[in-house]
Amino acid sequence: MVPQKSLIANGNDAVAQAIVDIGYDGEGYYPITPSSDAGERVSEALAAGKTDINFVIGTSELAVAGIITGMAVAGGRAVDVTSANGLLLKMEELPCISGLGLPLVMNIATRDVSGPLNIKNGHSDLAAVLGVGWLIFLAPTVQATYDLNLIALKAAEAVSLPAFVAYDGFHTSHGVRRINVFANQEDARAFVGKKPEMLNLLDVHHPHTFGPYMNDDLINTKVQLDAKMRKAYELLPGIFKEFEELTGRHYSFVESYGSENPDAVLVALNSAGEAAKVAVDDMIADGKKVRVVIPTVLRPYPNDEFVDAVKGAKTIVVAERVSQYGAGNYLANELGASLQRIGSKSTILSRVYGIGGLNYLPEDGVHMLTTALAYPNVSEEEKKIHAYHGAWPGDPSYKPLPTIQPLTAEETTLNAGEERVNLRKLAEMPTRIEKHSACPGCGIFTNLNLFLRGIDGHVVLLFNTGCGMVVTTGYPLTSFKVPYFHNLFHNGSSTATGVVEMYHRFKKQGKIKDDITFIVVSGDGGDDIGMDQVIGSALRNDPFIMLEYDNKGYMNTGGQLCYTGFKGQRNSNAPIGPALRGKKTHHKDVIEILRGTECSYLFQAAESNARDMIAKARKAQATVRAGGFAFGKVFSVCPLNWGADEAKGNEIVEKVVDACMHPLYEIEHGVTRLSYDPEERGKKIPVSDAFRVMGRAFGHLLKPDNADLLQEVQDEVDRRWERLKAMSAAEIL
Amino acid sequence: MSYQLPAIDRLGFCNVFLSAIGGDGANMSAKLLFKIAVTELDLDGAYDAKYGSEKKGTATDVSLRLCYKGTAVRTSGPTTTPHILAIFRPGLIETLQLNRGLQANATVIVNTTQTPDEIRDRLKMHSGRIVCVDAETIAEETGSRLNMPMMALICRALRFPQEQVEAVIAKTWPYAKDANLGAFKAAYDGVNEKEFAPRADYPLLPPALVARGQIGYLNMLNGGAIDAMTHSTVNRNNQVAGYGFVPTFDPSACTGCAVCMTVCSDPGGIVWKDGKVIGLDYAFCKGCMRCVEVCPQTKKGKALNRPEIAQVA
Ligand SMILES: Cc1ncc(C[n+]2csc(CCOP(=O)(O)OP(=O)(O)O)c2C)c(N)n1
Ligand code: SF4
Ligand code: SF4
Ligand code: SF4
Repeated sequence: MVPQKSLIANGNDAVAQAIVDIGYDGEGYYPITPSSDAGERVSEALAAGKTDINFVIGTSELAVAGIITGMAVAGGRAVDVTSANGLLLKMEELPCISGLGLPLVMNIATRDVSGPLNIKNGHSDLAAVLGVGWLIFLAPTVQATYDLNLIALKAAEAVSLPAFVAYDGFHTSHGVRRINVFANQEDARAFVGKKPEMLNLLDVHHPHTFGPYMNDDLINTKVQLDAKMRKAYELLPGIFKEFEELTGRHYSFVESYGSENPDAVLVALNSAGEAAKVAVDDMIADGKKVRVVIPTVLRPYPNDEFVDAVKGAKTIVVAERVSQYGAGNYLANELGASLQRIGSKSTILSRVYGIGGLNYLPEDGVHMLTTALAYPNVSEEEKKIHAYHGAWPGDPSYKPLPTIQPLTAEETTLNAGEERVNLRKLAEMPTRIEKHSACPGCGIFTNLNLFLRGIDGHVVLLFNTGCGMVVTTGYPLTSFKVPYFHNLFHNGSSTATGVVEMYHRFKKQGKIKDDITFIVVSGDGGDDIGMDQVIGSALRNDPFIMLEYDNKGYMNTGGQLCYTGFKGQRNSNAPIGPALRGKKTHHKDVIEILRGTECSYLFQAAESNARDMIAKARKAQATVRAGGFAFGKVFSVCPLNWGADEAKGNEIVEKVVDACMHPLYEIEHGVTRLSYDPEERGKKIPVSDAFRVMGRAFGHLLKPDNADLLQEVQDEVDRRWERLKAMSAAEIL
Repeated sequence: MSYQLPAIDRLGFCNVFLSAIGGDGANMSAKLLFKIAVTELDLDGAYDAKYGSEKKGTATDVSLRLCYKGTAVRTSGPTTTPHILAIFRPGLIETLQLNRGLQANATVIVNTTQTPDEIRDRLKMHSGRIVCVDAETIAEETGSRLNMPMMALICRALRFPQEQVEAVIAKTWPYAKDANLGAFKAAYDGVNEKEFAPRADYPLLPPALVARGQIGYLNMLNGGAIDAMTHSTVNRNNQVAGYGFVPTFDPSACTGCAVCMTVCSDPGGIVWKDGKVIGLDYAFCKGCMRCVEVCPQTKKGKALNRPEIAQVA
């Protein structure tokens, strides 16, 4: 045994601790609930100088998958953490990593992938990657999440395959527990061992070609891959044993808990398996012979261990937090095949439970095992081989009454077409969005409601994932009085392209008479991960408006860095510490990126200049009515994640505009025009005056220690401002 | 072992449930309580916060389940059967039916100016002790935060040794040491508490599990769509986020400049008629005071002002 120390940690903290203890060379990171904090903890360790890991924040999960692949092929030890949509976005890279034989570790804080969006625990992400050729470890507890991170890397490197460690989103990722970790990093590192020598892209003295184009030979690489899985199956018992000798903590392919010769067995994954142990204890105390089986390794699939753990039971319930819809279930089928091979007569019941994060309680375990014991003398519903546990039918007699009337084109056409923007008149216009649950003082809906006052007639809204969508449509209620669609985080623009194509088709066919304006709303983060798709819509000049609310961060997921953020800005994944000073690069300028697409209309607006924003909304609407694409960015405060005064939003925006950090201008068919020139009005202020009121995320930039950073931001803002003035002055620019 | 948990359930846990609003610091206090339990008292247990993407001002909860070392910690998620219930916002008692699952002889700590008798009837508590404290005033007067007086009384209910707790507090926030310890002391001194014997008409209720709505798989619209006409948020009350602090309005001072309409994030609540504001619909208002900041100063003063006291409960 080597010394262990106790640590208070949740699953994400445990991952971060393992990453630091192992001493990885690199991590690729892109935030997604519920795994985001694991990367944040690593960035904090980095800022504190406790690790020297190369921590790279990508522009999307797909980008990150590329980044870690690059790290691995260059001989680095690389790690990643993700969930749900993030994992699926990496999908294309996953079989490549295994096919290329690159050992690395990817943690999955499991979460359902679905439309409608759900951010809670489900194993649909995990199920999607069962066949990509990676080792798969399942961590039912916070302790196991730490331990299996070390075990997974050692196994992965031993067989040159990548490995997943999956732990339950929220249930484990956010459950805080007391765990034990290696007291000395050297001991953790000694266990993992030195990275084995591998073919390396950086070896210029002996060049290799990695990732060739391969035809008929491909099947041979897959035979190799399968052989590596078999080798892992042979090596793992030894690795578990070595780990136990060092730590006293025991792991095996599958964990069995309960009676020696059970009549009924429940197979349950991760946190549900832990909860089921309580059920098993209770039922055994009640004289029943029951057992729960919890797999620790899913790939390589431990066939014999599984069979041993369940065989002899009359009925086996395989509970899965995922479904194959219209077919048997993943593990239930696999286990059924195993049992068929030994001629077993056991009945397998497949139960889908816990979708969308529904808790699995000991009561659920009792219910499933009781059903199994009584089978087939159970209700018709429970007789089903594949059934959903925990769903409810609803009340078909429920006939809710209308609470709102649809908005008419007339009532939303006040003041439109008039020369002067008349706020008084516009104040009478009904809002299209009402009673959301954003934080007090949030800028998102101030911007949207103001902008929408400049849009007349019918509107259809499409939102990217972010705070704006999360606080408006918590089922079964919606804050939208107009038609609304949320698809994914990054593809609102592409989705809108599809929608407007059909709108114009049906209009031409005479099937639709209404004049409708389509507006895509995205946070600045949505335009990091979805930049390519926005560019696509702009290049095609698709007739819809895209409005970006720029709050300088990924706020919905907890204030992580967005490329729009100012250099030096404090983010939850770019903290301030002796070894790191917040965001490392200057703020992205999305309008200038889009300038090159030569689309019809680009603008920046701000709530501090309300009439200007409305005028720009009208111009944007006129643009799409004339068949072109309009993109606008509005500056939006986030009092919560900035730590700013929620009452001061308007003043903050005014200062940011006057400091030329968010210049108000427009580009119409390539011609740039400043809409507001604080310099000319004698109102230009230094960036420090804006940072002073912007809260904790920026306040540190005023400290003497950071004078150099502040100056850099000032210089960059000034440079861009001078360029903009020049462009505004000369039409040809 | 000298320290004894005040109560344990059949699995060996003392369950503490904190019901609050995002921004109250309930999470922070539970985290610290867990740290004290583990590092100072060598206990084990679990601490699970409400899951999701909750924004400031929306209801949230934190569960702390403490046990002696050696007890298996198996389940995850919130406790549904608290021995100790800390209510940061009494408005949540009815909305969340906080009496569900409450143990017999529970301890309920409430931030309120009401009496234990009044709270007992609101909560319909079966039996136990109700500890009332004006935590909000204490926080304000001591320059601390709401979570400090609440945490002081949770520690007291857990019978955590006072000195050890205070030492941890002082160490965790050295800069706010005096304020926080002041809040602790004021909380101990300011309690109004009472023990209640079981009452037959206030039965023990089963725990709250999944909230099953009227819409299920038989009547859900295709793809989970929402019918905006029948399921709009318009009837929802949003004021909880503002803790009742919403602007006051003086119609005689309103010039009808409409600037408030341009800065409010939910301007449907600023009721506009004939070119002027005629009042605020407080069911919309989150109390951010953005509108107060921009409302112009006229001879009659400002039409919108910060309230001295909470306007709505
Ligand atoms: C593919 C994918 N990756 C990550 C996420 C997680 N995610 C949801 S919203 C969000 C941040 C949104 O940031 P932004 O667009 O700036 O909007 P805000 O939250 O600031 O409103 C992230 C990272 C996701 N839903 N899908
Ligand atoms: S976290 Fe920020 S952006 Fe999100 S709702 Fe709250 S204030 Fe708005
Ligand atoms: S305080 Fe004013 S700005 Fe804020 S939500 Fe209420 S009415 Fe709107
Ligand atoms: S800002 Fe003040 S004066 Fe102007 S319309 Fe609103 S309430 Fe009236």
